[in-house]
Amino acid sequence: MRKSLLLKVLLLAFVVAVFGCSQKQEQQIDDKNVVKVWHWMTDRQAAFDKLAEQYYKETGVKVVFETYAPTDVYKNKVTAAASGQLLPEIFNPLSDKRELSSYIKAGFIEDLTDEMNAGWKDVFFTKSLEQNKFEEGNEWGVKPGYYGVPLDVSSLMIYYNKDLFVQAGLDPNNPPKTWKEFIEAGKKLRAANIQPFVSGFGESWLIGAFASSYQWSLFGKQGILDTIDGKIAYNDPRWVRIFSLLNEMKENKMFAAGMVTMVNKDAERTFATGRAGMSFNGSWGVNVYKSMNPNLNYGVMAPPVLEDAKYPLLIFGGDGSAMFVNAMSPKKDKAIAFLKWLSQRPQQSFLAKETLNIPSNKESAQDLPEVLKVFSESIANTFENLPKLEAWQVTNYININLQSVMIGEKTPKIAADEVQAEKIRQEKAKK
Amino acid sequence: MNVTPKEKTVNLMFILPALILFLVFNFYPLLRTFQLSFYQWNGIDKDMVFVGFAQYKDILFNNPAFWKSMLNAGYVTILALTLQNGLALLLALLVNRQIKGENIYRVIFFLPPVLSGIVVGLIWKFVYDGNFGILNHWLISLGFTDFKDFAWLSEIKTALSSVAVVHMWKGFGYGFIILLAGLQTIPNELYEAAEVDGADKWQQFKHITVPCMIPVFTIVTILTILGSMQIFDLIYSMTRGGPAGYTHVPITKIYEYMSNGEFGYSTAMAIIFGMVLLIVSFGQLYVSKKFNR
Repeated sequence: MRKSLLLKVLLLAFVVAVFGCSQKQEQQIDDKNVVKVWHWMTDRQAAFDKLAEQYYKETGVKVVFETYAPTDVYKNKVTAAASGQLLPEIFNPLSDKRELSSYIKAGFIEDLTDEMNAGWKDVFFTKSLEQNKFEEGNEWGVKPGYYGVPLDVSSLMIYYNKDLFVQAGLDPNNPPKTWKEFIEAGKKLRAANIQPFVSGFGESWLIGAFASSYQWSLFGKQGILDTIDGKIAYNDPRWVRIFSLLNEMKENKMFAAGMVTMVNKDAERTFATGRAGMSFNGSWGVNVYKSMNPNLNYGVMAPPVLEDAKYPLLIFGGDGSAMFVNAMSPKKDKAIAFLKWLSQRPQQSFLAKETLNIPSNKESAQDLPEVLKVFSESIANTFENLPKLEAWQVTNYININLQSVMIGEKTPKIAADEVQAEKIRQEKAKK
Repeated sequence: MNVTPKEKTVNLMFILPALILFLVFNFYPLLRTFQLSFYQWNGIDKDMVFVGFAQYKDILFNNPAFWKSMLNAGYVTILALTLQNGLALLLALLVNRQIKGENIYRVIFFLPPVLSGIVVGLIWKFVYDGNFGILNHWLISLGFTDFKDFAWLSEIKTALSSVAVVHMWKGFGYGFIILLAGLQTIPNELYEAAEVDGADKWQQFKHITVPCMIPVFTIVTILTILGSMQIFDLIYSMTRGGPAGYTHVPITKIYEYMSNGEFGYSTAMAIIFGMVLLIVSFGQLYVSKKFNR
């Protein structure tokens, strides 16, 4: 009798443990007036919550923003949720186009082309829309159209500390424009015992973004595509030149101590506390520096141009954070309605004011503070949309070799040769 | 003893929850991992492409970066096996002498292992920082002015060793606790008898402590190998595999491939890595059994 009772209790506990959670989940999903959004910028949580509250008052639809950091953790969460078909109504896979195409082809992302063509796209910066637009004949076989809704835009420029410039005898109102002037400025800063340049080059995408500007400048769009196709080798003299730029910076002691393994948050702290004269960083830095050191006296300049380059120097940027609608969600219409509301001028201006990011809405960008206007104007000069991408292993290898040159472990020529060898290896593996 | 069918059922019901949990959370993922390693898949696509052993072949013969990361983990492991475990044994021997405040030492030495690896990594990153790190500050104040702006984690020669030092600092407490527990199981009578026979401390250590401790050494060695080869959190928080890939270890490589949507390839890497660990662990067991005889 006692055994049988114990058995029943055990079974009951097991059933409750196994099925208890799933019932709760089901209950949440059944709530037809809740739209869930996953985002990775935790510093925006308060602003998002305020907007969600306002939207609830206006429409009765409850929007729940859930933010997760750091970005790689967020990205892995999205991938896992996609595999389990548990994605929220609105999300961003934080992927390049290759991976984004997989999400689209697997039916996770809603095609917003009709909505965009019905006038929605007119409110955005063209460049911000392009990054999540698939062209006719794209190499991934995705149906041409618009898939993402840009929430804000960003670009990467060089911040410079005006006080440190004065200390080093440089003109704070006339920052370097050419590569030669940039190196000269670095020398003067170093002579004044100031670390000339800092950036989170320990994060490979950031060092890649810096070098990519010069790739555009030396190769142009067709040259980049030809390199991806293998028609131009990575040990082409122009590529050696790109590696040499980092070498030149090293030779002139421009890098801050430990920069090769520095994450961007540490680089931001170094610049905000006046320990470096210049910093390559994104437009989000305006908000970061404000919170770290409100009295920081800085200006913003474009990456210095190469005097003899054949093509214009473009900068990394475009959409800052785009949002995608879960095509599998029964509440996708509500999600689209919310995103339309969010991209209107009042909401975009509110977000820009609260988070000091550049809104994706062109009209809202007019109300920006001066320093953000520089970034906003630079959006037109961001990288162009490419119909194909280099294998990530090759891109990764370029970034690692850029780091090797930074620390003097490899010469520019050796680094370029090794990238080419990796390109060949990847080509073989692909076959 | 005869067990009735009803009793058998009752017994089975007791282990059933644990069995189901094991099958669902251990066995099934392991099986799927094996399966996945034969496919090319990015975690999102509906279709997985069967590639057979191609990924294994590529890792084994065509991916020097992975094997370099294995060597890096091996370097950390060798340092941990020698310095970390040597320190742990030394401290365990000292504390075993029934010194005053024995329990306080136990707590202090066991603190680093229970701290979060990421937090430890971030704290030590500040210690090693080239700009305002406390290590350079001390070295400069001692007269070593060459260390001004020296970034320990950004120099090829020092990056991996610097991380290994933190790994050893964080890990020696585990070894210390296990070794101390082992030392306390050795009957005191053995030492008393040896003393009566005229054996000095070194002879007692060599002929009593070491032979009695071999099973404990085996456990500590295997745990150290497994823990050190699988180092991840410290690398991730301190160097992210840099500078220029010089501190990558197998787990960070697997993570890198998985983050780039190479689910099949990274699981093949994980299986190869698992096999290496198994071989090393069985080798260690074999050697220790021989010693035991």
